[in-house]
Amino acid sequence: MKKLQLPLLKIFNEKEKQFIVEKLNKQFGVEELKGMLLKRGMDRIFLFSGSFNEKQIKKIESILPVERVGVYFAKLVKEKDGTESIRLSIEGTQILKDQIKKNIFEIPDSKTAEAWMKGRELNISTGKKGFLVMKYKDDFLGTGKASEEKITNFIPKSRRLKESSI
Amino acid sequence: MAEDSLKPLFVERMKLILNDENDFKNYLKSLEKPPAKSIRCNTLKISPSELKKRLLEKGWKIRQPFKKHPEIMIIESELQPGELGRSMEHLLGYYYIQEIASMLPVISLGIKSGDVVLDLCSAPGSKTTQIAANMKNKGTIIANDVSVSRIKILASNLERCGVANAIITRKDGVALCKNIKKQFPELLFDKILVDAPCSGEGTLRSSQKTKFMWNIKTVKSLSKLQKMMFAAAFELLKPEGIIVYSTCTHAPEENEEVVDFALRNFEGKIKIEKPNLPSEMKFKEGLKEWNGKKYVEDVKYCCRIYPHDNDTDGFFISRFRRLK
Repeated sequence: MKKLQLPLLKIFNEKEKQFIVEKLNKQFGVEELKGMLLKRGMDRIFLFSGSFNEKQIKKIESILPVERVGVYFAKLVKEKDGTESIRLSIEGTQILKDQIKKNIFEIPDSKTAEAWMKGRELNISTGKKGFLVMKYKDDFLGTGKASEEKITNFIPKSRRLKESSI
Repeated sequence: MAEDSLKPLFVERMKLILNDENDFKNYLKSLEKPPAKSIRCNTLKISPSELKKRLLEKGWKIRQPFKKHPEIMIIESELQPGELGRSMEHLLGYYYIQEIASMLPVISLGIKSGDVVLDLCSAPGSKTTQIAANMKNKGTIIANDVSVSRIKILASNLERCGVANAIITRKDGVALCKNIKKQFPELLFDKILVDAPCSGEGTLRSSQKTKFMWNIKTVKSLSKLQKMMFAAAFELLKPEGIIVYSTCTHAPEENEEVVDFALRNFEGKIKIEKPNLPSEMKFKEGLKEWNGKKYVEDVKYCCRIYPHDNDTDGFFISRFRRLK
């Protein structure tokens, strides 16, 4: 039986990384992104902060099955109008927390933060449209997507609160 | 845990290993209850003082048992089953639920932030996340495991803890080392952790299934695998690099016998060192002989951690330096 091959890692070049940084700047005011960006197959982008360079990672990939490099950081999402937006993961928002300056939604109280972490959408009108970084006190809780009257939730099932415990 | 609920051969062996009637009684008594509930603050995301403050506000009673390691915390309050894993702080990756004895191999490694580290048997990721925290997400970790299902858990834990300096590989540990040596010989590591697959005798307090699964054949076959793993990993160590070999078992075949093999096999190239563990803990030296077999004198530098000595699980830790 033929062995299933993992799709090859795509390491972003400077131009491709710059494209992401510009998007991050436009959406959240982020000015700098340290580390290497990678993806494999789909649209999930990973951030690698380690010391290995592209050549070393490619060499490892050529001799060993590499399952993952770095941390899941963001997703590039195609909008209806054909443009692309960045949706940061929970870790993405935490890594960039000192740089995120705009499109932040401050969750008003612990009850709402709990509902958010349970994966529920928030029926709140923010007056904004598009991706917002969700924040409660000092905690960065990933990204939601604001529309007219609600904020859509993207907290993955494995990271959701199961019962009241905050 | 009553003596008669354990397999007779296991009981007989533990009596010989502990070699002291009172010690053995205390050991059996310790098996009646689970070890202390412990967590490790994930310093990649939050400081120990901030985390402690948050947990105290939840009404949890916290103790930090080691002066030099404020990230290690014991939860002294009674919690609901599963409460530790369901909290907001856990979901956000602010702490990792980890048994204290299992934190010791990484402490012994003495990680520096720019190191290149191989974690040969990495899943489920408790030690890998601890290594990454010590490295402040710098340097590089090759985090390897052989099992697809365990790799999924590893990836999920690394993600939750925000580990960004790791490359996860899936390969049999011995084959991985041989591949690297043959095809990427310039890749050598500053630190290697071989937290080897073992018979798990030290986890009897946490995991009831161990007592049913235990058998002497597995101990002996694991011993062979562990020697192969150590030998293959040692070849990838830089001169002056450190390798820590650890297990969560008490079986001398899987511990001192592997250390004895390593010291004889790499004589002149290897030096065993004291594992440099927290002074607050109680340890016993490695056994110098077992079952009529005498080990090299230096096995005394190994650390045996018994459940009744520190209210933890049982563990075995040995630390080596490559000389050339």
